[in-house]
Amino acid sequence: MTLPPLPKKPFNPTPVWVALVAALFYVVAVELDVGFGELAWGARDMVEFMSRFSSPDFSDIGRYARLMGETLAIGLWGTALAVVIGMLAAPFAARNLSPSPVVYRVTREVLNLVRAMPDLLLALIFVAAIGLGPLPGVLALGLHTGAFLGKFYAECLERVDRGTYEAVRASGANFLQVTVWAGWPSILQELVSYAIYVLDRNVRMAVVLGLVGAGGVGIALTTTLRLFEYNRASALILVVLATILAIDYLSAWLRAKVR
Amino acid sequence: MSRIELASVSKTYDNGVAALKPVTLDIAAGSFVVLLGPSGAGKSTLLRTLNGLETPTSGEVRIDGEVLCRANLRAMRARIGMVFQQFNLVGRLNVMTNVLCGTLGKRSSLGSLFFLMRRADLELGHAVLARVGLTDKAWERADRLSGGQQQRVGVGRALAQEPAVLLADEPVSSLDPATSREIMDLISDIRRRDGITTIVSLHQVELARRYAERVIGLNDGNVVFDGPVGDLSDDVLRRIYGNGGHSGDVADA
Amino acid sequence: MAGTVAMWPTRSGWPPAGALAAGAAILALLAVAAPAAEFDPVRVIDSLGAMADFAGHLLVAPDWSYLPDLATKMLETLAMAFLATVIAAVLSLPLGILAARNATPHVAISHLTRQLLSVMRALPELMWALVFVSAVGLGPLPGVMALAFVATGFLGKFFAETIEAVDTGPVEGVAAHGAGWLQVRRYAILPQVAPDFIGIVLYILDHNLRAATVLGLVGAGGIGYDMVMSMRLFQYDRIGLIALAIYVAVTVLDRASDQLRRRVI
Repeated sequence: MTLPPLPKKPFNPTPVWVALVAALFYVVAVELDVGFGELAWGARDMVEFMSRFSSPDFSDIGRYARLMGETLAIGLWGTALAVVIGMLAAPFAARNLSPSPVVYRVTREVLNLVRAMPDLLLALIFVAAIGLGPLPGVLALGLHTGAFLGKFYAECLERVDRGTYEAVRASGANFLQVTVWAGWPSILQELVSYAIYVLDRNVRMAVVLGLVGAGGVGIALTTTLRLFEYNRASALILVVLATILAIDYLSAWLRAKVR
Repeated sequence: MSRIELASVSKTYDNGVAALKPVTLDIAAGSFVVLLGPSGAGKSTLLRTLNGLETPTSGEVRIDGEVLCRANLRAMRARIGMVFQQFNLVGRLNVMTNVLCGTLGKRSSLGSLFFLMRRADLELGHAVLARVGLTDKAWERADRLSGGQQQRVGVGRALAQEPAVLLADEPVSSLDPATSREIMDLISDIRRRDGITTIVSLHQVELARRYAERVIGLNDGNVVFDGPVGDLSDDVLRRIYGNGGHSGDVADA
Repeated sequence: MAGTVAMWPTRSGWPPAGALAAGAAILALLAVAAPAAEFDPVRVIDSLGAMADFAGHLLVAPDWSYLPDLATKMLETLAMAFLATVIAAVLSLPLGILAARNATPHVAISHLTRQLLSVMRALPELMWALVFVSAVGLGPLPGVMALAFVATGFLGKFFAETIEAVDTGPVEGVAAHGAGWLQVRRYAILPQVAPDFIGIVLYILDHNLRAATVLGLVGAGGIGYDMVMSMRLFQYDRIGLIALAIYVAVTVLDRASDQLRRRVI
């Protein structure tokens, strides 16, 4: 007895996608001459290299702690600046609050533009313009994450029920009053939550910015590595690691508290 | 207590829906008017043109002879209190603060942006809360209150404006019958004591019969009846609720 | 002030205690940090002048001859981001399974893996790039390694959390038919987490492109090196082009991955 034929099997795109990605990967890797082969053979060398970091030298711990403190300060002030910028920009970038559609579009585009610039590039520009030190770092972080917060706060403001805004508007309140009385209170939780997330991120970035002369631990790290002082480098890395993990825990705890 | 005039006011939305056909009305100062009609009749639209929440496609709205336009919108709105079907309170803020929203139209000060209120305003708020019977809830978060209580806050907010006109857009549609009557009693009482020109839109005929002086019946954007509540006969009701009206509304009668 | 002319709409007349306390704490923290951050208003105002000056310099004719070189470097940057993302996606699958409490062979392994992933994503990519350049030399390889390393930490954690949130029904169903350890994961767990996973991988790709643009700073490939050098050499005719190229690349990828996300999920 012959069985009725099965319906045609639906086309499953997954293997095609996987194959495509794999092929692209291979092509790109070859093009880039990214020596994965060397890496594999050099695995033993890597292990040896990593072992150079194995006995951290904490003799200069005081200086490292101070530098880490400076990095933290940069992250903190960068975040403060970002929150201010974000809160100032957001009402103009929220479709249901903005005084005019033109202002809305322009603000959104400006925010997108600033957001697309990596903070490092901004920091470089500020260092070139202002000179070395923590201030360019603070400004770069503040602008870049300020634009991020501006966008996200605006989206939160747009999600508020329009009736809430309407009622306050109908009492004769102006744009600023509607924003402060109906807007911010309605999104208080997201406000704080995003600010904490940005703080976490900015502390990390502040470490990186130090590498271009914008203050903090970055320079010390570059120097120790260039001078092959691996043990000092690993001490620095541990200090940075400990601080960042601490901030991570703190920010997760804070965000849970603001429920 | 203001006189309201509508001169050929109509509203057609961008999607082509003609929510309100040209309407001409004269509402005397201090009167109590109910806009009656089924859902989609244009009651809300008409009401919202009176405080600029909807901009008429044609015609003009005049309050005490002054035409409502962009230039004087804020000043006009400060004199017009509105109560909403969904209450539209700011949930996180306490009852007193919600009521004090009503004073924002008169206070453009920098202080208001930091929630700093004048003593006089707080005393006004206190008096308003006493009138709507919510003194003991003054410092509670608005979203913790029951529906009826929240609407009282809504009424309070409108009162805090010390308005010349009170608009209520289906103020009791989200409430149960007993609470509905409480809120309508409150609105009615306010109008009686302060002589504020009051316009309420309702779809419940029974409530219209109980509280209105003058009824304006709307159907599909047209005014199909305009007269004293006593003239609200079954015939008239059929005209109002005729095509596409909810049979449930007629059953209310 | 409370009670005389102006006050706050609260029972006490002052703002809520929690808000005051938090506000005071934040201000105190900022005050302590201020000297370290050198955030003083005078300097900021001064710097605005310097900024305007700098911006003025940028308004020169761009160095069009640089364009082909720029394009190559940008492609290299994009390639680095792509490779790193793929590697991270592949590595995070087994790591995610090991880290998830409901899919791991033993709870101790899950704890250990979670700690490992936490460390992997804690430090910024540039820092790892610095270390890897010391190890394997200059070029895009250390850059890809650094990006992949951090991304694996992130993806691994995300994957683990998605697995832990999985519906147990299908898992029990498959296991009840005698499926092996690996088969349960392949047929019951994986299909449930796939859509979320793709979304986050795209997000990581976007992030990696942004991160890749700066790795060149330490010699780990991409546009970063050119970016820094042109700044240091005050080659204003190139800086504008580089900034523009980065903006365009990032925006295009953002939009493309938005589109892709909509199709696939």
